[in-house]
Amino acid sequence: MVKTIDAKMLSKMFLAGAKKLEEKKEWINELNVFPVPDGDTGTNMTLTIMSAAKEVSAMEKPDMTALCKAVSSGSLRGARGNSGVILSQLFRGFTKGVRDYEKLDTKILAGAFEKAVETAYKAVMKPKEGTILTVAKGGAQKARELADNGEEDLTVYFEEIIKSADEALARTPDLLPVLKQAGVVDSGGQGLMQVLKGAYEAFLGKEIDFNIPDIKSSSSVTSMNMDVQAQADIKFGYCTEFIIMLSRNFNIKQEMDFKAYLESIGDSIVVVADDDVVKVHVHTNDPGMAIQKALKYGALSNMKIDNMRLEHQEKLFKMAEKQKEEVQPEAAPKKEAGFIAVSAGDGIEEIFKGLGVDYIIEGGQTMNPSTADILDAVEKVNADTVYILPNNKNIVLAAEQAAHMAEDKKIVVIPTKTVPQGITAVINYVPELSVQENTDTMIEEMKTVRTGQVTYAVRDTVIDDKEIKQGDYMGIGDSGILSNGADMLEVTFRMIEDMMDDEKELISIYYGSEVSEETADELREKVEARYPKCDVELQYGGQPIYYYIVSAE
Amino acid sequence: MAKIGIVTDSNSGITQKQAKELGIYVLPMPFMVNEETFYEDISLSQEEFYERLANGDDVVTSQPSPESVMKLWDNVLEEYDEIVHIPMSSGLSGSCQSAMMLAQDYDGKVQVVNNQRISVTQRQSALDAVKLAKDGKSAEEIKLFLEEDKFNSSIYIMLDTLYYLKKGGRITPAAAALGTLLRLKPVLQIQGDKLDAFAKARTTSQGKTVMINAIKNDMVNRFGGADKNNIWLQIAHSHNEEAASALKNELLEIFPGFDIHTDPLSLSIACHIGPGSLAIACCKKI
Repeated sequence: MVKTIDAKMLSKMFLAGAKKLEEKKEWINELNVFPVPDGDTGTNMTLTIMSAAKEVSAMEKPDMTALCKAVSSGSLRGARGNSGVILSQLFRGFTKGVRDYEKLDTKILAGAFEKAVETAYKAVMKPKEGTILTVAKGGAQKARELADNGEEDLTVYFEEIIKSADEALARTPDLLPVLKQAGVVDSGGQGLMQVLKGAYEAFLGKEIDFNIPDIKSSSSVTSMNMDVQAQADIKFGYCTEFIIMLSRNFNIKQEMDFKAYLESIGDSIVVVADDDVVKVHVHTNDPGMAIQKALKYGALSNMKIDNMRLEHQEKLFKMAEKQKEEVQPEAAPKKEAGFIAVSAGDGIEEIFKGLGVDYIIEGGQTMNPSTADILDAVEKVNADTVYILPNNKNIVLAAEQAAHMAEDKKIVVIPTKTVPQGITAVINYVPELSVQENTDTMIEEMKTVRTGQVTYAVRDTVIDDKEIKQGDYMGIGDSGILSNGADMLEVTFRMIEDMMDDEKELISIYYGSEVSEETADELREKVEARYPKCDVELQYGGQPIYYYIVSAE
Repeated sequence: MAKIGIVTDSNSGITQKQAKELGIYVLPMPFMVNEETFYEDISLSQEEFYERLANGDDVVTSQPSPESVMKLWDNVLEEYDEIVHIPMSSGLSGSCQSAMMLAQDYDGKVQVVNNQRISVTQRQSALDAVKLAKDGKSAEEIKLFLEEDKFNSSIYIMLDTLYYLKKGGRITPAAAALGTLLRLKPVLQIQGDKLDAFAKARTTSQGKTVMINAIKNDMVNRFGGADKNNIWLQIAHSHNEEAASALKNELLEIFPGFDIHTDPLSLSIACHIGPGSLAIACCKKI
């Protein structure tokens, strides 16, 4: 009977938990309630835990104190998204409960689990049940019960805890109706279960590959190196694509022959035959040869040839330029106040910069910046007070975590949940007022903004009693889905109608990268006709994924 | 006791008719419209002015000619012993500078007040001067008193458009700071001197909130408290009567019992910021 674990075992268990989470991240991503193309709870939690795992795996002979420090600070810095931040807080609390011991028994562990849950609940302003918090609490309560009943066998102990946490996870749909309607359990809770299960497997002695792969780093130096590497690796320089409009028979045999020929002159080959056309994609050093061969089967159309080596150089050049730009602001004289905004899309970036925002962290719905990314940005803004506009509800917590960790500057997080809220907040900043007055005003004014965003559904589901089909357009408001259907203009228009009331004076429409100006103009005209008393303003946002971001204020 | 005449210019918003009632004198400001000269409230009414502005006519302000200033003074001095002359802010026009130069020939009988006021706050200065004269103060004493009091006033103006500000080119630093893709309602301030950028808003109600907060802040932190016995509140507007009276009701809810005076903005400010603006101002009571 094993009664205790030491730092070595704990570190093994932690790494195994991280590994398990990583393996399951795609599956966890798919548990997202909203069928929007941003299911990234799994990705966020994995990036969070991997940031700590990297530090842990680099330790040769971990003692408990050093291990705890690595787990806590690594995950705090790497935290992304709400579930990632909560996970990092669970680790922080847990390590507080174990760092002073060399060996951990059921009693010490029970205390640490409780500490973990307590810390995580405190990190969230309004803790919600039916989430990762509920799952963690379920496990911790069982741990306390077992320890108080004198259970000393860790095998039994861990098994029971996992069972209880799993039961808590299964109960999450009863606590959160949105989960029930979508027919899923909470994704963050499921992520936590993977960590616990992975750790338990390691405890039982299952061999695990502890190689922690290099995760995506936010440092541009690393990505530069990777790109130089990639360029050296380009064996075939031209990306060649075309469609053959078949004029003669193209059966399996000919398809095989054609593919074999392309393989002899290049790689990355895709050949898709479809009734009377064949789509072809190949990387080769001699596009002419591929074209010659293809002409034997019919006429060609939609031809596109790109020099990938040049593109890489251009990309490298642009990155170097960008790096240069990034360095320059550091030389800027110290200001009283600076602004950081998280945003995606060149149009929206331009708007924020025009309003005096000093630094833009690229990100948003699909790419939540980590606490460390936000701290890096804070570093680059030379000001006594730095205001952060997260502009997404899933980034607010990470920004607040960064605010606690920043040392030499006062960080104020204005908890903007959407881009229009961020725009209104920064517009209402008044240089001559105090930090407190400005913070109050910005938060007050941001609340007057209603936001609606239009995207598409990635799967069939039911939310808020609305049946949504994969590929549908959806208009998402501040607290749920306002409209859905197959016609983008109509879905957007109905969403706006839902957002309006008599007091609104201004409707701003930011159109995304996949919407043309003409299409957006059509929407503007329709909205102007419907609300003649309102100002309607159309702006290019250039944001991905969201066709339209609309605000009414 | 010397008999003291009070003179100001039409930037104070005091009409010729009101001047007669108050027993003071108002020097009309000249305007050039398409190179023809008009005088505020004499040959150019508010209505005509905004019509011309909307037409895209070339409207330019200028200062009163030395001749017109001296002629008025000479007239006044036939009836009074001394003059207190309150021109528009020296930060916005050269009129003050010119008047001071001209006054040198009057052996101290004309005291030019350089207290950097404009519109509703300039009007309040003229009223204060009337009161001080009644109290038996000399022209010099009144001038010193008003100049010492010059920073006890504050004006915030929300513009409907940046167009005129940019066109005028006179207030470029403020305009430049507001350069952006979005349509904004800039809020400018006058703290005794120049027109300066203060803040910006997206909507009229946001702009009003900004101005009300700023005025409240000034009352409490600069002028010794938001008390109706301590503060005159004022509203000014350019061709925006309805919004101004709505604003008055809003202000009375926040500052119950306050004296609130509303005036159209003087034309020399209006021609730089265009129609549709709304301003809140306050002065500390003397």
